[in-house]
Amino acid sequence: MPKCMIDGKEVEFTAGENLVKVAKRAGVEIPVFCYHPGLSVVAQCRMCYVEVEKMPKLQTACSTMATEGMVVKTNSENVKKGRAGTMEFLLLNHPLDCPICDKAGECDLQDNSYGYGSAYMRGSEERRTYVDVNMGPVIQKNMNRCIHCTRCIRFGDEIAGIHEMVAIKRGNDIDITTIDGKTLQTEYAGNYSDICPTGSLTLKDFRFKKRAWMLKKTTTVCEGCSKGCNMEIQHEGDVIYRCVPLENLDVNRYWMCDEGRFNYQHTQDPTRIIEPKVKAEGGWKTISWEDGILGIKEEIDGQKPTFLVGSDLTQEELTHIKEYIALQHPGATIQHFGTPGLTSTQQDGALDQILRMKSKTSNLNGAEKLGIAPLMNDTIKADTVVVMSAGRAKLPKINAKRVIAVGVYLEGDASQFDMILPGLAFSEKDGTIVNHQGIEQKLKRAVLPRGKCKSLSEVLMLLTNKKARVGANP
Amino acid sequence: MSTPVASDTLFVQHFWKDANRNLSYYLESMNGYQAAKRVLTEMTPDQVIDEVKKANIRGRGGAGFPMGMKWSFIPKNSEKPKYLVCNADESEPGTCKDRQIMRYIPHVLIEGLVIGSYAIGCKHAYIYIRGEYANEAKLLNAAIEEAYEKGYLGKNIFGTAYSLDVTVHRGAGAYICGEETGLLNSLEGKRGEPRVKPPFPAISGAFSCPTAVNNVESLANVPHIIRMGGDAFAKLGKIDKSGGTRLLSLSGHVKKPGVYEAPAGSLTLRQIIYDLGGGILNDKKLKAVIPGGSSAPILTADEIDVVYDVEPLMKVGTMMGSAAIMVIHEDTDLVKLLLRITKFYAHESCGQCTPCREGCHWMESILHKIIHGEAKPTDLDLLVDVAQNIGGKTLCALGDAAAGPVISFVKKFRPEFEAYIKGQKRYA
Amino acid sequence: MAKNLSEKFYTVMKKLEPRYPSKKALILPALHQAQEECGWLPAEVMEEIGEYIGVHPAQIREVASFYTMYNLKPVGKNHLRICTNVACCLRGSDELMGFAEKKLGIKCGETTADGLFTLSEEECLGACTTAPAMMANDDYVESLDVNSLNDYIEKIKQGVK
Repeated sequence: MPKCMIDGKEVEFTAGENLVKVAKRAGVEIPVFCYHPGLSVVAQCRMCYVEVEKMPKLQTACSTMATEGMVVKTNSENVKKGRAGTMEFLLLNHPLDCPICDKAGECDLQDNSYGYGSAYMRGSEERRTYVDVNMGPVIQKNMNRCIHCTRCIRFGDEIAGIHEMVAIKRGNDIDITTIDGKTLQTEYAGNYSDICPTGSLTLKDFRFKKRAWMLKKTTTVCEGCSKGCNMEIQHEGDVIYRCVPLENLDVNRYWMCDEGRFNYQHTQDPTRIIEPKVKAEGGWKTISWEDGILGIKEEIDGQKPTFLVGSDLTQEELTHIKEYIALQHPGATIQHFGTPGLTSTQQDGALDQILRMKSKTSNLNGAEKLGIAPLMNDTIKADTVVVMSAGRAKLPKINAKRVIAVGVYLEGDASQFDMILPGLAFSEKDGTIVNHQGIEQKLKRAVLPRGKCKSLSEVLMLLTNKKARVGANP
Repeated sequence: MSTPVASDTLFVQHFWKDANRNLSYYLESMNGYQAAKRVLTEMTPDQVIDEVKKANIRGRGGAGFPMGMKWSFIPKNSEKPKYLVCNADESEPGTCKDRQIMRYIPHVLIEGLVIGSYAIGCKHAYIYIRGEYANEAKLLNAAIEEAYEKGYLGKNIFGTAYSLDVTVHRGAGAYICGEETGLLNSLEGKRGEPRVKPPFPAISGAFSCPTAVNNVESLANVPHIIRMGGDAFAKLGKIDKSGGTRLLSLSGHVKKPGVYEAPAGSLTLRQIIYDLGGGILNDKKLKAVIPGGSSAPILTADEIDVVYDVEPLMKVGTMMGSAAIMVIHEDTDLVKLLLRITKFYAHESCGQCTPCREGCHWMESILHKIIHGEAKPTDLDLLVDVAQNIGGKTLCALGDAAAGPVISFVKKFRPEFEAYIKGQKRYA
Repeated sequence: MAKNLSEKFYTVMKKLEPRYPSKKALILPALHQAQEECGWLPAEVMEEIGEYIGVHPAQIREVASFYTMYNLKPVGKNHLRICTNVACCLRGSDELMGFAEKKLGIKCGETTADGLFTLSEEECLGACTTAPAMMANDDYVESLDVNSLNDYIEKIKQGVK
């Protein structure tokens, strides 16, 4: 492997790697704004200056490929002056509104200013200001904070496949915006906020809800479709504030769709059923877990009810259900459901050119691998049906005498049920899901279960236990 | 050294008469299209490139890169189409020579395109002409039509297997499109923002194909090179590394402004100003000269005994650029002039890279404060420091173009700036 | 969509199409042609160009707004663009601009109430040896002084030009 020297350290590289990447491997962080590994290289922000031996001018690390024997300095006086110059230019027109900016604490401009800028401001010019346009429900625009890195333009053009964010006019007058007050059309708009290195494009959903540094972060996988985009749930206490994509070059690269990003909201929906309930005259009646478990046992013990399981459940949950059925209800039917009209991975496929898949559940592949048969119709007719799912799987039309549901449901989903035992959402449990490529990925518990929700395993254990003894709720 | 005579010049004797733009004039008085015929029927592309290399011709657009070398960078075995693009975006303030070629002898450019295209294997050449030259674009299109009619363009030129199309592409008002990669983006229907290099246009230029971009005057010299031979053309130049003649755009405070022509390196700046230009307007005293378009660092009246060519000018800290000489007499307010120059670069900054977008505007605003008596004493050094933070730090040469004048004006005429700051002088 | 551009526009474009390897390269020629027809470039016209080229209308706008010669606002019948760059500045373009503003009764960047004139400041036109110069629509008017500029404006006013 070829080698080069970065700040005196010898580093190996593969041909075509730029100095930002190579330096990172040597433990040297090179500050960037416009560079993003998932977007084309434009070398516009002029922050990533390095000194390369035998080159008279400072070079931009993002656009300089490592070559054999190259000697690079990232910390010389010349480099420091260059970077400080860029920082000074960028802050000339950037409002000092960090105290009320949502990006504060996770802002590249703030971090690089701290790391490479000057403590003094030499400019005394009036700052450039803009009137912002409405960008739609996902993104809040604040052009005053923009540093013209054009990541958003390139994201739209190169990733989202829609050239809707553009630079209007030129030079100091540039406005980076959509035209004629049009709102963003892409279904991937949230990424605009992730890649924005300042508080110019922020998430409306997250705005003013929480300071970034107060959030705890849990690495998990999106349950929104069979893609399995890697992401982080950001939460404080047991409240989720947002989800952001994590890099996984084999799955989602750096991105995620808005549906997946905001999917967490259903877990915190005020209409989510979080206590055991039974249908009663004039509505639902809250019952104790003990009564719920006993009630179900009464209905199904020794019977062969039909089990419908969502392909949004984890491998562990599905395996547990299978074992439970084999022991307690041998011969009973078990079928998986998830996306109307889509019964197998063979029918699954890309919904767009970017990430989204046709299967709206995350573990269709896993359910299939466990040998569970699909529900072939969107309607099921049976005597007693037990539905178990995690809230993503789209319920079929159930035509049965008794319908018992275990899992995550909103009040709106519950009309077909006679009894509900509340289960855990993807953000409340650990588990394994298998994406459309066959890659096994892990869900991680970020927050505690809401209300009186219990894990499926616990429910199955209680159903198996002859003397259902339900302890205190969590 | 003396004032050049017609035999030393290749172009100017054909300027200033509208009738000269007809094909008949070109054929009769300039041996029109004979060089192209010889090239297509008797020479290989490599022989053409060798001849141009021998001619020692530097690009006439401003950077002065050897033209034959540029052509030799175009990969020969690439499967992709190759393009020759003529840079007719003449926009460096002070420069107005290419316009005369296109107005008066457009066919010499077309013939140059035929030869150049053949040499690099191009089948479709473009002339990217600045939007303001609307009438020149019409004249070029008329000449191209004539050339198609007579078989100098189109299919099987001179009965050979070689075919070439030429298309005139109009810009629309952007200085930065004179930068070759900005020009290529503009040709492709994009904003004229310069590209990151590498890749250089020779590898990935117009439409991601190998491309040579040559200035109008450069290409117009090519028929002459073929006609007289590379060696003879090189000998026209009176200085090493510069063959041929140079068209000089002489403007500002001279008695006889105009486009002149002289063998490369044959005159000093003083001779150009006093012998060609007839001296200073109204017999005023010379104060300064901007010798190579507005981006060239300024020279004082004491610095004009320099031979006017690339290396000698570089030695005195400035540049020849596009050979546009702007003469400035004693009554001129250089602070005001620098503000005007800086305002131009700020206006023309494409805005993609930070130092240029923010810095040019900042410099303009500091100069504005200076001239209006609102500046602090430290602002002058701040101005120079800002210029230094732009120079050499930008994606394309516009940053250097903007920084150079600021640094040199302040260095050489500092008291004029200080007079404003101290309130000894007021803006009129 | 209501067509804002004429058959002629599409005929001209059809002729140009084979001259470029990509349709996007027609954006600048299309904007020029459309402006010649409409005098300026309203949003609907740029939208129609986007449809013809096959790109998002925002892409047309970002290109058009980069170049100073595309009028994104209506301009007067006679667009006078006085060069005030170095060579013209040395030869008195400031005086010319001041005169033009007074003569037309508008500031630089404005259009007269009768829509006859728009006055703009222009960067270097490449007519430095015949400075000061201006563009009047597509034509260059060179070696100007206050008198010749006055005559030029008068002739337009009297309908001679």
